[in-house]
Amino acid sequence: MKIGVYVCHCGVNISNTVDVQKVISEVSALPTVAVCRDYQYMCSDPGQEMIAKDIRELGLDRVVVAACSPRMHEPTFRGAVEAAGMNPYCFEMANIREQCSWVHEDKEQATRKAADLVKSSVARAALLEPLNSTEVPVTHAALVIGGGIAGIQTALDIANSGYPVYLVEKDPSIGGHMAQFDKTFPTLDCAACILTPKMVDVARHPNIELLTYSEVESIEGSVGNFHVRIRKKPRYVNVSLCTGCGSCATACRLVGRIPSEFDMGLGKRGAIYVPFPQAVPLRYTIDPEKCLMLKHGKCGTSPKCVDACDRDAIDFSMTEEILEVDVGAIVVATGYKEFDPTIKREYKYGTFKNVMTGLELERIFAPSGPTGGKALINGKVPKKIVFVSCVGSRDKRIGNPYCSRVCCMYIAKQAHLLKEKIPDADITVMYTDMRAFGKGYEEFYERVQKEGIKYRRGNAAEVYEEDGVLHVRAEDTLMGEPYELEADLVVLGTGLEPSDAADAIGHMLHLSRSADKFFLEAHPKLRPVDTVIDGVFLAGAAQGPKDIPDTVAQASGAASHVVNLLSKDVILAEPIVAEVNTDVCAGCRICEILCPYDAHAFDEERNVMTINKAICKGCGSCAAACPSGAIAMNHFRDSQIVAQILEVI
Amino acid sequence: MEQELKAHLKKLMASGDVAGIIALKSERGMAKPYLFADASELECLCLTPKYPMASVARLLLDEDGAARFAIVCRGCDERALRELAKRHQVDLDRLVIVGIPCDEEMARECACPEPFPSVVAVGTKLEQWEAEDIGAAYRAMELDEKLAFWKHQLEKCNKCYGCRNACPMCFCKDCELENALWVKHGRLPPEFPIYHMIRAFHLAGKCIACGECQRACPSDIPLMVLNTLLREDMEELFGYVSGTGADAENPLYTKEEMQ
Amino acid sequence: MAETWNPKIVGFLCNWCCYAGADMAGTSRMKYPPNIRIIRVMCSSRINAEMVIKAFQMGADAVFIGGCHPGDCHYVDGNYRTQKRIAVLRRLLEHLGIDPRRLRLEWVSAAEGEKFAQTMDEFAKEVAELGPSPLAALQREVL
Repeated sequence: MKIGVYVCHCGVNISNTVDVQKVISEVSALPTVAVCRDYQYMCSDPGQEMIAKDIRELGLDRVVVAACSPRMHEPTFRGAVEAAGMNPYCFEMANIREQCSWVHEDKEQATRKAADLVKSSVARAALLEPLNSTEVPVTHAALVIGGGIAGIQTALDIANSGYPVYLVEKDPSIGGHMAQFDKTFPTLDCAACILTPKMVDVARHPNIELLTYSEVESIEGSVGNFHVRIRKKPRYVNVSLCTGCGSCATACRLVGRIPSEFDMGLGKRGAIYVPFPQAVPLRYTIDPEKCLMLKHGKCGTSPKCVDACDRDAIDFSMTEEILEVDVGAIVVATGYKEFDPTIKREYKYGTFKNVMTGLELERIFAPSGPTGGKALINGKVPKKIVFVSCVGSRDKRIGNPYCSRVCCMYIAKQAHLLKEKIPDADITVMYTDMRAFGKGYEEFYERVQKEGIKYRRGNAAEVYEEDGVLHVRAEDTLMGEPYELEADLVVLGTGLEPSDAADAIGHMLHLSRSADKFFLEAHPKLRPVDTVIDGVFLAGAAQGPKDIPDTVAQASGAASHVVNLLSKDVILAEPIVAEVNTDVCAGCRICEILCPYDAHAFDEERNVMTINKAICKGCGSCAAACPSGAIAMNHFRDSQIVAQILEVI
Repeated sequence: MEQELKAHLKKLMASGDVAGIIALKSERGMAKPYLFADASELECLCLTPKYPMASVARLLLDEDGAARFAIVCRGCDERALRELAKRHQVDLDRLVIVGIPCDEEMARECACPEPFPSVVAVGTKLEQWEAEDIGAAYRAMELDEKLAFWKHQLEKCNKCYGCRNACPMCFCKDCELENALWVKHGRLPPEFPIYHMIRAFHLAGKCIACGECQRACPSDIPLMVLNTLLREDMEELFGYVSGTGADAENPLYTKEEMQ
Repeated sequence: MAETWNPKIVGFLCNWCCYAGADMAGTSRMKYPPNIRIIRVMCSSRINAEMVIKAFQMGADAVFIGGCHPGDCHYVDGNYRTQKRIAVLRRLLEHLGIDPRRLRLEWVSAAEGEKFAQTMDEFAKEVAELGPSPLAALQREVL
């Protein structure tokens, strides 16, 4: 056995704490170690070449790199040794950076630990077995979950590359939050003007199957071959007959009596509705919670919508449908939900009608909104307006320590729009810190200030009412003094939280969450679009708060990853799977009970268990449970793990 | 009871329901497991000493593809058969259980949790039986006392594998106790305490408290203490008592979260 | 032995949550005592009883097992089997006179670098208070 060991300094990240030479002298003494070298950056080209040269010239059987986490560079080095002619599974990594030099201060003990870890890796490497990947065919289609701007952009990009896309949206229309906005910062583009053409493109695209009012029910399989069940909720309107004319909506007995979700409850709709006039698809939906016919089986003498529809599109007998599709890749674009400020009780949101959230104000501005775009708050034009930033953001007490990345700028935009509509309005923004980091953002902030919007630093502490007038009490943290402002409109700069759909989707796909509960990317810097699950990518605010340009950029990034994957006919499946030694298997079948993927199949004839390699995900749970040691977990064999144990004690 | 049983078995044999009867046969003063295929042989049937009948059934059913057999079972044998059935080692549909109860002396000797099978074919089961709490003395010990106790006891082990060989629940073809990764070859006594800990753990949720291991041990190691303590743990932690309930799976291998 | 005694902790960490959490502690430069030697496995449920017992047998002062939070297991429910296996193993250790606190199971997510570092801190202190494992002393006698 000839093992080559390479210890990385990682600049000084490792060598500042770990005495690399000492590690080398200890490891070189091991009988299986043929060569042991160190280098500044093992992951660099010269570093990789050093390994490749030794493989070729010294005929190494195994390679161990002691450097950063294998979660970071194992694929890099596997690739490097493979290019030099070695089986990639004969490579092993010792993590002496994240789990040693970066977390320990005592140099002697850190060096001791690093040497132990390297020796443990050498012992394991000696027992590693070459493994060969099997080829798995790729299903040339993608699933995009979420029909906001992130999902729309992703779907369009993938579809434009020639691959079929299933775009699933839980609401009756695509568009997401962006469709609710009036203008976008800092360019003041009309949101609908830039979004709706994309929505229409989605609906018309021959490669996109748009599944609105639908939810993902289950996802099975793995990269290249996911099997997805999608539940299409009944609209009670036959979409192929409905023309979107709207006669039904005007006829509905409940018209104008149900708060519209799209208008944040400020506008009203009927039981049969489209969320907004530009909805895609422009097809009506009956709200089963509200419709008299669906709830009580009776709507006057006959349902008015049925009478009004000359296409006979209304069908109360409609039931949900399950659609099963196969895809090779999945993009999660489940977006965000606006922070609910009712838990910040000091702001009295929900108590006073003229305390509203940023998103609600967007609907007031919108020409298609409840006031037709007029700046009317509860019927009056506000003159004294106070904006409060960071509501539900940068707030540890409520568990959201992160920045919303949007409230500074949307407040600036909304302040500008209000000033435009009400030139004599007195507008003050109470801000925590001004974060105008994007392209053109700082310039816009300056412009808004020049327009006469006042900015005062400090958190609003309380909103209260006196003689019918709202007062906002705050502390100016620059002046170090408390102050109070009267207001006839208080706008809360609410932050962003992961959407409610994220829970279920996260569980289905086994995605990790970061501390802020948004989905965790595979690497914060270098793989911000990937997840640790192969074939599953993230787009938009599902991964973290984002503004529109960042969302669109990430969406295109996710799409390019998907296209990259779908452009292959086959991919290589991890050979790290469990295998049954049928000579030893006694057929007790406990492995079959516990396998989460049903990868085990019992061979009745031979009375032994078999494992389907294509289904096995390599957790090794069955190998640990097998009483007779008949199941071997490739790459994590008992002997390989024990060899490590022996070295570290 | 013996005569009554023989009569019962003769009737069973005559019915043609079973191809044979698994029970103990007395031969030259010794008892051995035997498959009685003819009523005339039943004269030599005996009931003592205790013998792990479930193991016999397992091996026999494995040999013969379809035949049905009757088996004379004590409480522990029935428990063992249930556990073996859960692990697909015996097919209970191919067995007719002829239950016999243990007398008080036998029951006490085994500290048996239930010295009778679910249905008693002949004889009368002990009423109001309460097994001795053999774990009590050990639970009360301090950690260092326990360690010293087991150190002393397990050093007597000469790794004869008698405990495993006698155990009706040990059906593996390869045994982890012979895997040099865990238990060093050629070392006596086996390193403390890995051999016995592995064996005890393997029996968690499986041991049906028959006491065969302890009876088989030439060094008189109180193995049933460890097994009994773990049986109690399985009940306390998961509400699982091995040998009862035909459908309940060993919780250690199921998908459910621990409550 | 002249050397001062430092607790030896063998850690078995699942790749997806706890190992990633340990990495996170590293990237965030959080400090914890250098007692643990981490062995990476794909799922905590890969760790069978034999491995844990072997680690103690060979003289580990403690064994740490880190997995995903309930409901978050990368392999759906592997962590539940780990949880049950460790619960029984702790009992078994206790029956043999080995303090069950020497075997610890924690759920640490990929984002919980801080929790990992804190846990290591606490655990190293706890094991130091418990002193050397009695099995470690026996192991040295044998050698």
